[in-house]
Amino acid sequence: MTRASATAAPAHPRGGRRAALGALAAAGVLLLALAISIAPGLYMLSMSFMDNPQLFAGRLVAWPLRAQNYPEAWRASDIGRLYGNSMIVATVSMVLTVAISAFAGYGLGRIRFAGRGIVYALVLVGLTIPLQIALIPLFINLRSLGLLNTRLALIGPYTGFGLAFGTYIMKGFFEGLPRELEEAARLDGAGEFSIFARVMLPLTRPALATVAIFLFLQNWNEFLFALTFITEGAMRTLPTGIYALLSSEFYGNYPILAASLVLFSIPVLVLYFLFQQQFIEGLTAGALKH
Amino acid sequence: MVPAVAVLAAFLLYPIGYSLWLSFHEWSGYTPTWGPFVGIANYLALARDEVFWKATWNSLVFVIVRTPLEVGLGFLLAILLNRKMPARALLRTLFFVPVVMSLIVVTIIFQRIYEPNTGLLNAMLRGIGLGALAHPWLGDAVTALPAVIAVSVWKNVGFSLVILLAGLQSLPQDVIDAGRVDGANAWQLTTRVIAPLMRPILALTGLLSIIGGLKVFDLVFIMTRGGPTYSTEVLATMLYRQAFELNEMGVASAIAVILVALVLGTARLQTLLVSERDEARA
Repeated sequence: MTRASATAAPAHPRGGRRAALGALAAAGVLLLALAISIAPGLYMLSMSFMDNPQLFAGRLVAWPLRAQNYPEAWRASDIGRLYGNSMIVATVSMVLTVAISAFAGYGLGRIRFAGRGIVYALVLVGLTIPLQIALIPLFINLRSLGLLNTRLALIGPYTGFGLAFGTYIMKGFFEGLPRELEEAARLDGAGEFSIFARVMLPLTRPALATVAIFLFLQNWNEFLFALTFITEGAMRTLPTGIYALLSSEFYGNYPILAASLVLFSIPVLVLYFLFQQQFIEGLTAGALKH
Repeated sequence: MVPAVAVLAAFLLYPIGYSLWLSFHEWSGYTPTWGPFVGIANYLALARDEVFWKATWNSLVFVIVRTPLEVGLGFLLAILLNRKMPARALLRTLFFVPVVMSLIVVTIIFQRIYEPNTGLLNAMLRGIGLGALAHPWLGDAVTALPAVIAVSVWKNVGFSLVILLAGLQSLPQDVIDAGRVDGANAWQLTTRVIAPLMRPILALTGLLSIIGGLKVFDLVFIMTRGGPTYSTEVLATMLYRQAFELNEMGVASAIAVILVALVLGTARLQTLLVSERDEARA
């Protein structure tokens, strides 16, 4: 590449300037797109420090800062409890899904068994199928089991519906591990299970992390099931708890709403920024293997 | 292995079978047992229901408008990011932030931005002398659907971008270099060399976007509840309304079955199209 541009340069004396203009235009487009991407989030942050007169005056930047929106938002939606519920539901379902997916991914990726094609087809269907198909059957069954308005009403479905994604990513990763590892362990006298648990599983840490983060975010943000299966206040998770604010006395009180939204988003953003490298790479590797 | 298969089956096959069977019955959801078997009456009722056609049409519009924008803008940004530049990793990280944000958060922010009197969008339009364009974006049946789609594109472009950027980085560099040596300019290189190589990944990104678009619920439900006058009603919001507001479990199940058929049909069609093309090329 360097050689090509070196020989081409003298032939096109304006090439350098055109390339520089191109780079400038590219940077301009990227910066504009970036501004559009992050402006709404920053606006939310700014709104969360405004009072209503500032908001209605159409201010972009809050000044003076009104920090008491935060304690008010905290009280308005009882966010402490919502946090607790969301944390329990999202974490427990995530851990269960990761555990089951690790086994299933190993089985699909490394063991030849009858019906493997069908199981894998199920996984692919599970990746694409709309959750709405399960809304009514789950609602009816949860109701007759007396499980509506319990944490189990969300933990069960979240675990089940995360499984296709978890298994898909884990299978892809297990498949990529070299066969020699397994054979060496077998020669050393390791049994099937200890090959899985001691040799293979530790190597899949990046994939496990991707699955865990993705599922946690998905469970944390999930709205439809949470809206339908939790109809009373006590067991609500954050998304529906904040949704309920919209039909309370805080309707239209955007500073308070924005402060709640910031509080809601903090764990997600912290988790994302801490693990984004691993998360994005795991996701894209999964998608490109398709 | 066994628990995984059991759970997968329980969470896939059972709901499909249940919904399919329920869609042939009439039921309010309140009695302990289902109402009478009615054959395809629920489907016929949908076929006569203007709102159903409106919702189907809106779901299709949602997909037809959203997917090209999402994939096209994502591809443009991916190409621009696929070169040596300062802070490239940071840019990718920031472009992906809307993807991880919760829809309830996104929706409430944009409701505020679209608000007619003091909302940011109209304030900005007035600020730059285009006050005549100021508009109750979500309150007008003509602009409500485009306004919702715009938010959806905004939220998902980062996802296409990240997948497509990884795709670009996985392309065989020697082919691209050969094109460059042959004197192709950036535009020719992109349209004649890179785009054809990227076709499978573009197709995958498009498929994910189509499927996501057909399933859309949260965004519409929170932002407009399908209104005004059903102008943003999509299949998923209609399903919810039939089941939990109108207590028509049979009709709602019929919508669920139609939605699944649409999604799986699209996925199947796409696989067929892509593999046929590959065979034709081989």
